[in-house]
This record gives sequence, structure tokens and C-alpha cells, in this order.
Amino acid sequence: MDRLTTVTQVYDAIQGAKAGASAFCTNFFPAHGKVQGWIDHGELLGELRGRSAFFLRKDRDFWHLYFCASNVAALQREITAFPGLKTERVAVDLVGSEAVLGELLNVVESAGFRRYARLLRLARPNQPGQPQPSADGTEVLCAEKTDCQAIMDLLECSFDRYADQLPMLYEIEAAIAARQVLAIKCEGALAALLFFESQGFTSTVRYWVVAERFRSHRFGSTLMRHYFAAQSAVRRFILWVTADNENAVLKYRHYGYAPDGLMDHVLVNWLVHP
Amino acid sequence: MKSLPEILKEIRPEFDFTASSDFIADGMLDSFDLMTLVATLDKTYGISIQGTDIVPDNFKNLQTIGVLLRQCGVQA
Repeated sequence: MDRLTTVTQVYDAIQGAKAGASAFCTNFFPAHGKVQGWIDHGELLGELRGRSAFFLRKDRDFWHLYFCASNVAALQREITAFPGLKTERVAVDLVGSEAVLGELLNVVESAGFRRYARLLRLARPNQPGQPQPSADGTEVLCAEKTDCQAIMDLLECSFDRYADQLPMLYEIEAAIAARQVLAIKCEGALAALLFFESQGFTSTVRYWVVAERFRSHRFGSTLMRHYFAAQSAVRRFILWVTADNENAVLKYRHYGYAPDGLMDHVLVNWLVHP
Repeated sequence: MKSLPEILKEIRPEFDFTASSDFIADGMLDSFDLMTLVATLDKTYGISIQGTDIVPDNFKNLQTIGVLLRQCGVQA
């Protein structure tokens, strides 16, 4: 595969798969800024194989696989013969409504991937009577650049790197610069964080976590309430949560989130999960 | 045939698309919505929007999407 150096190369490859497609299928939803970041950091490889475009994005010790194919049959033909699957750790996300994912799941599983996790997208409208900030005196700060490594460490020990799309250090730095990482510090340590992305009227909670030794202090609640209060102009709040993490799903439901019908099946190849 | 505002309203019913000049910057369409919109426009109008045209500038507002549709041969 070739290392991609421009976003145009990405769109050209997509076009190669999409031109005249009978039933275009993809798991690649490229947000321009993110793709540019991957290219700038040399993380994105691409290849057009027949009528299917494949992209690999480096993430720690494995790759995310994205595809665009003219139809499911073309995808099945090419993904089965895709050489990287035999030598590299690879994870693939299939995103859509449950009803439309069945055929794609079969194709990807037939190429040797196994189901690893299932995430639900939850959404909540901005509603009257938003939760108010806690008045318990706990100080919520915007994280600083010097917190980068502590944030990375907390995310890596709290989340699953294959399923949860963990950020790289440069992405954490960018989020901090945009004041999108709320933090609570305690005893000189990072005790809890809420990492979010806001774009206009929509805000996404990426990660919400309290370090294990600081649980039962209501830091999670304090962060979430602060977040809602600070995002009063937002009309749509969304997030992804692991479907079988009942505790997390219940907590989000408590704050008014509910499934919006979008699902992410994460599959991994045998080198990740023999 | 559904109009463009009707299609957008089906994808994100909570927003008023006639009141925004930049759907992406205003957070009214994310990358998933964009791909849903492209697939819906392809199906509704019998066209194939090219991959190279799936860029934020072409989906900023009703006018830019209208221009894109006309370039694809959709009659106004």
C-alpha cells in the first residue's frame, strides 16, 4: 500500500470505487480535518484494488481498516485477498443501522475477522431544565498541555484501544488547545476527565472517566453537569458507548441520552484475537 | 419527489436547515450524516455524486448543495 500525502488522493481512491457503483458500500466516513491530521502524521496508507479502495490507518500497535467498494461482491472478492490481514493486527468498524449491516458483517467475517465489540450511538436533545453545575466546591479545570501524558495514560488504562478510537498525543494536544478536555485534579493527580468535541450545535462526548482510586467522589457527575452547563448553545449531544457496558449506558440514560439507531460493530483479525 | 430541505429534515429533524449558511461549521451535519445525505441524493435523483465532490464546501448550505446537484444533471 502507498502512504497517502494529500486528501485529494483519498477522494480519488474513493471515486475509483464509487464511479458507476451499483451498490456502493463503505465504512469510511472521512471528516476532512481528521483525514488531514492522519496524513500530516504519516498514519494513512491507501490502495485501489479492482473496484474497491482500502485504507489503513496506523494506531499504536495495530491498524484500522477502511474500505469503499462498488458493491458487496467486489468487497468480498478483494478483502479476502487483502495481504495485510495475514501479517498485521487489524480492526475494522462497520457503522450503520443494525438492519443494513448484516450483509457487510458476513463479508468481513468471511475474510477472517471476528466480532470484538458493539457500540451504540446515544443522543440527547438540549432540553429545558438542564442539569446544573454541582455546588459542592469541586473545581473543574480545562486540562493543560502538561496534562497530555496523564490524559493518555488514563485513557489507555480505562478504555479499549481496538474499540474506542483512542486519540494520539497530537490529538490530545489539539483538544486541550481547543479547551475540550475538562479535568478534576486531586492530590496532585488527574482524577477525572471529560473529553469532548463541539462543532456548532452538536457536541460529542469522546471519553468520560474517573480514575479508579478517585471513584465515589461524584467527580463524574460534577464533570458532566459542568459540561452541559458550558455547552448551553448546543442542540444535539451525542456519544458512542459499548453496548454491553450496562453501567455506562445507565449513567448516560440518567442524563437524557438514548440510542439513536446508529451502531458500530468492531471486528478484529486473528492476530488481535486468535 | 422530496425536496432538498425535506431530505435534510429527515436526516436531522432537530435542525432548521433554512436558517444556516454552513451546516458543517454549525454542527448540523457530521461525517455520517454527509454519507447518508450523499446516498439519499444519489437514490432520490438517480445520480452518482463523485467521491471528489464529497467535500465540506459542497455541503455548506442549500445553495452549494443545489449547485452540486445541478452539476450532476439534476434540473432545478
